Amino acid sequence: MNNVKQIYDMIVIGGGPGGYTAALYAARAGMSVVVLEKLSAGGQMALTEQIDNYPGFVYGVDGFTLGENMQLQAERFGVKTELADVFSVELDGNVKEITTSDGVYYGKTVVFATGANPRKLGLEHEAEFVGRGVNYCAACDGMFYKDKTVVVIGGGNSAAADALLLSKIAKKVILVHRRDTLRATKIYHEPLLNAENVEFRWNTVVTELLHNGNKINGVNVKHLVTEDVSVAECDGVFISIGRIPATELVRDKLELTEDGYISADESTKTNIPGVFAVGDVRTKALRQIVTAVADGAVAAFFAEEYLAGIK
Amino acid sequence: MASVNINYQDFQKLINEDKPVLVDFWAPWCGYCRRIGPAYEKIAEEFGDNIVVAKVNIDNEPFLAQQERIEVIPTLVLYHNGKVAGSIVAPQSKARIEEFINESLGK
Repeated sequence: MNNVKQIYDMIVIGGGPGGYTAALYAARAGMSVVVLEKLSAGGQMALTEQIDNYPGFVYGVDGFTLGENMQLQAERFGVKTELADVFSVELDGNVKEITTSDGVYYGKTVVFATGANPRKLGLEHEAEFVGRGVNYCAACDGMFYKDKTVVVIGGGNSAAADALLLSKIAKKVILVHRRDTLRATKIYHEPLLNAENVEFRWNTVVTELLHNGNKINGVNVKHLVTEDVSVAECDGVFISIGRIPATELVRDKLELTEDGYISADESTKTNIPGVFAVGDVRTKALRQIVTAVADGAVAAFFAEEYLAGIK
Repeated sequence: MASVNINYQDFQKLINEDKPVLVDFWAPWCGYCRRIGPAYEKIAEEFGDNIVVAKVNIDNEPFLAQQERIEVIPTLVLYHNGKVAGSIVAPQSKARIEEFINESLGK
């Protein structure tokens, strides 16, 4: 329990790559830092077994280990980790209050690193087969489907980008979209429509994930107009129907975008001085581990500047 | 106190003793099982005086997993007086595990 009223220089909410990098840089700059994490370090990447696009690891690294190492590295410089759920935040004033399952934490600066989660289809077996045919990130898991058949679900920019990327790896890509045209920006249309191995199933939705007990081997696809149901055999499914940023805590406290992300530019500064947003929870073009860690370093830099100003 | 790995015989003996027993049914190939690991060890430290915090690798103990009707992992089951006091699948946070233990024992 957190009985003594200690005021930290920085409270980081969320123990993913963005959060622990902010903590590492802040601690190395002499700040006192606590990271509040609900379960274990790493965030979304902790569920990725093989990360091949984080530089420095010739043969890749598993996400859980990378997360744990980021935690240990930050802790080497004095960062504390508390495993607690955050219930509410009070961000006005020079000392900010974070109420958790483990008591109240006080901090002069707060870094939101709460991440985003892929939107789920909500079908049976979906959670069970994550990593065994159910995927949410083509850039992460696409390589496992070299010369195989995959289904991509969605019609927005990320689905189009995923389908295009997968068309260069997989033997065949089946795009399942509930409308009769892509919602994605025009730049994606031509290359996708021209790709010989992309098959479009317009006006359709996936109604069932099929499996052989061990992994996904197909999906049931229902046509929304004719209501016909057909089977699309495949080796994997990529679900690209958007993400949900974890911003419930700050819905009425910080400026958010229409999609619910925290409004903050590359400086990671939010509309409240001393409050920063890093990683997937922030408005940004590319949500990757490398961009999250970059945000973390930037947030620590501006937090230090902010602290110098209020002292 | 760290969590203890138990087998079928340990399990049968422990659940009939006075102390409640919390069991994490897991397997090495289960990514989410790994994610709850650090929180589970903290739980073992914090609750270790009052409950036995144990783990069962279902790959090593398929019979036990079947007997306890474990169909998905990670599943945490709390046993008290030889009976199931409660169970939870894939808890989202350490706080959720704590809540589950307190709820189950408060019954």
